[in-house]
Amino acid sequence: MNFRTISTVISREYLTKVKKKSFLITTFVVPVLFAAFIVVLELIMLKNTNEEMKRIAVVDQSGICMPYLDSVDTKDFVDYSSANPDSLKLGLDKAGLDGMVLISPLDPSTKSTSVQIYSKTPLGIDFSSLVANKVEDAVEAYRIESYNIDNLAAIMDEISFKAPVKEYTLDDEGNESISESGIYMGISLIMGIIIFMFITMFGSSVMSSVIEEKSSRVVEVLISSAKATELMYGKIIGVALVAFTQFLLWIVLTGVIVGVFSTVSGTQMFSKQDNAAQIMDMTGGAAVDGVNMPDMAQIAAGAEDDGMNVIFSTLANIPWATLIISFFIFFILGYLLYASLYAAIGASVENVGDSQQLQMPITIPLMIAYMVVFVAFRNPDGPVVFWTSMIPFTSPIVMLARIPYGVPFWQLAVSVALLVLTFIFIAWVSAKIYKAGILIFGKKATFADLWKWLKQN
Amino acid sequence: MDHVSVEIPKGKIFGLLGPNGAGKTTLIRIINRITIPNGGEVMFDGRPITQRDVEKIGYLPEERGLYRKMEVGEQAMYLAQLKGMSHRDAQKALKEWFVRFGIQDWWKKKVEELSKGMAQKVQFITTVVHNPSLMILDEPFSGFDPVNAEIIRKEILRLKDEGATIILSTHNMESVEELCDNIALINKSKLVISGGVDEIRHRYGNNNIELIYTGDNSLEPVQGLYSVLSDVDNSGRHTAVLNLQEGASNNDVLSSIISNGACVNSFKELIPRMNDIFIKLVTEE
Repeated sequence: MNFRTISTVISREYLTKVKKKSFLITTFVVPVLFAAFIVVLELIMLKNTNEEMKRIAVVDQSGICMPYLDSVDTKDFVDYSSANPDSLKLGLDKAGLDGMVLISPLDPSTKSTSVQIYSKTPLGIDFSSLVANKVEDAVEAYRIESYNIDNLAAIMDEISFKAPVKEYTLDDEGNESISESGIYMGISLIMGIIIFMFITMFGSSVMSSVIEEKSSRVVEVLISSAKATELMYGKIIGVALVAFTQFLLWIVLTGVIVGVFSTVSGTQMFSKQDNAAQIMDMTGGAAVDGVNMPDMAQIAAGAEDDGMNVIFSTLANIPWATLIISFFIFFILGYLLYASLYAAIGASVENVGDSQQLQMPITIPLMIAYMVVFVAFRNPDGPVVFWTSMIPFTSPIVMLARIPYGVPFWQLAVSVALLVLTFIFIAWVSAKIYKAGILIFGKKATFADLWKWLKQN
Repeated sequence: MDHVSVEIPKGKIFGLLGPNGAGKTTLIRIINRITIPNGGEVMFDGRPITQRDVEKIGYLPEERGLYRKMEVGEQAMYLAQLKGMSHRDAQKALKEWFVRFGIQDWWKKKVEELSKGMAQKVQFITTVVHNPSLMILDEPFSGFDPVNAEIIRKEILRLKDEGATIILSTHNMESVEELCDNIALINKSKLVISGGVDEIRHRYGNNNIELIYTGDNSLEPVQGLYSVLSDVDNSGRHTAVLNLQEGASNNDVLSSIISNGACVNSFKELIPRMNDIFIKLVTEE
C-alpha cells in the first residue's frame, strides 16, 4: 500500500462527494426536519397545557353516572340530565357546548347501560375511553352496592391500592441511583438507528461509487495506476470522512436551528416544571412518589419534582464516555466491515439494479440487528440480545443499543475483538472479489462467480 | 497466454497485433500489473517490474472512460497525481498539454458536456501527461476524425523522438506500417510472429517485382532468372509483374532485361502489405 496513492484516492472521493448537490441537500434538509420535529414536539407540549376547555353536556338517564364524571383538566362535564337529548343534540352550539354524552337508562335485569357521544368535531379516543372508564366505575359501584354490604365505603378504601414503583440501578460498588427505563430505551433506540442508518447509507454510497467507476470504464485506467486494494480502501475511507462530516454538520446545524427558534419564539425547551412531568409521561410512565401520601394533589406535586430528578439521575447514570467511545469504535468497525462487502458487490456488477440479489446477504443481518433493537429490547439482557451483540455482523448495532443499559467490559472487549478479526477476514475476501470483479465487464456476477474469484490465486 | 515471449526495444514503436480475442488485452494487462500471470515475468529496463515502475507507464485502454460528472481539469489532475506527479508538476504539465491541443477552455467543463472525440483527446493527455517511458496505446485512433487522428499520430511520433517506448495495439494495418518499428502477432494466446516490420514484410514477400518499361516487344521469361506473371501494354509503355526465381539477384534480372532492348522506367520490389500478412497468418492457423 502506498500512502500517497491512497490519500489521493481519499481526497478525490471526499471532495467529489462533498461537492455533490445531494450531499448539500441532505446536509441541510435533515437538520431542518430534525429541528422541525423537536420544535413541533415543543409546541405540542405547550399547546397541551393551554388547550382550551371543552364543555360537554351529560344526559345521564341511568341516574348513577353523573357523580363519577368529574371535570378533568380539559373537559368540563355539565349536568343536562333533565334535557331532551334529541333537541339538545341539535342545539349544542346555541348552548355553548362542544359535545354531548348520552347515557341510556339502566336496564334493571342486567344492571347495565350504554353510552353515546355526540360532537361537531371528534373529541378523540382519549375522551371516549375516559368516559367509558367513568361509566364502568359507576356501574361497578352500583352493582357492588346492590349486594347491600355494610360499611362498604370503608371496605373499598381499605381494598383499593396503588403500587408506588421506583426503579434503581446498582453499580458495581452497590451504590444505587434512581432511573427511568424509558430514557434508556430512547437513547438505546436512537443509537441503534443512527448506526444502522449510517452503515446502510454510506455503505451503499461506497457501492454506487464503485459501480460508477466500473460502468464508466474509468476503472481500467485507475487500476493501471494504483492497486485494487488502494482504490478500494481509499474509497471506503473517503466515504467514511464524508459520513463524519455530515454527522458533525447535522449536529451543529440542528443545534443552531433549534437555538435560533427557541430564542425567536421566546420558548425555552424543557425548562418549565409543568413540562417536566409531560416529558416523563412521554418517556414511559411516571414514577410516583410518596407511599404515605394519599392526597392525590400531593402525589402529583411530588411526581413533578421527582420527574426532573429521575431524568437527570437517569441521564447521569448512562455511561456517556463508554457510549461515545463505543459509538466511534463500533461505527468505524461496522462501517468498514459492511463497506468492504458493499465495495465487493459494487465491483461485481455494472449497475445498481443488478446488485439487489448480491446485497441480500448483507441486508439480512442488518435487518435482524435492527429488529433486535426494536423487539428484543424489552429484555435487554436476554440471550437474543446478548448473542446478536457478540456476532460481528449484528454487533455494531445491537451492542451500541445495549450500552445505555450498561455492558460488562469483557463483553465489550470480546465483541470488539470478534469484530476486528471478522473485518480483517472480510477485507481480504472483499479485496479479492473486488480485484477480480472490477475488470469483468458485460456480465452480471452470481454467487458462483464470486466463489470462483475468491479461489483464484 | 501460452508461452508468449516478446522483447520490446527501447525508444521504438512496437505494434501488438492479433485478431479479436487473441489475448492482446490480457498481455497488456499483464505488462501493466493489472493481471498477475500464473507464470512468467515482465522485465522492465532489464529487471523484474515493480509497482513503482507502473508510474512510468501510460496506459490508454481500448474501452475509454472518464468520470462523467467530474470536471475535465480536476479529473486530469487526479489521474496525473495517481501516477505519482506532485500537484504543481501535474498542473504545469497539464496546462502545457491543454495549450498544445488548444483546449484550455475545457478545463472547467464536465466530461459529460464533451463529445466523444473531445473526451478521447482529454484521455490521451491523461495517458501521456506524466512523461511515461513506456506508453501502451490500445487503438489510439479509434473515435477520432482524420484531422484529430493526424494530431495524435504526430504526438506519438514526437513522444518517440523524445525517447519513449510505445506499444501500439491496433487493427489498423496502415498505421502499423507507418508507425511501428517492430511487431508481434498473437493469435489464440500464442505468439505467431515477431520482429521488425520491414524484415517481416520482406520475409513474406514472394520475390515479385513491378517493372515499368518502354519497348516494342513484350518481355519473355528467362529460365533460371524470372517468370512473367503479367504484362500490360499501354501503347508501348508496359507494366509487368515478374517473379524472381530462387537464387536470382535483382542485378542479374535487370541486366538481362536491358540486354533484351527494353528501356527500364521503374524497377520496384513488391513488398506485401501488413494487412495481407495479417490475414494470411491468422487464417492459416
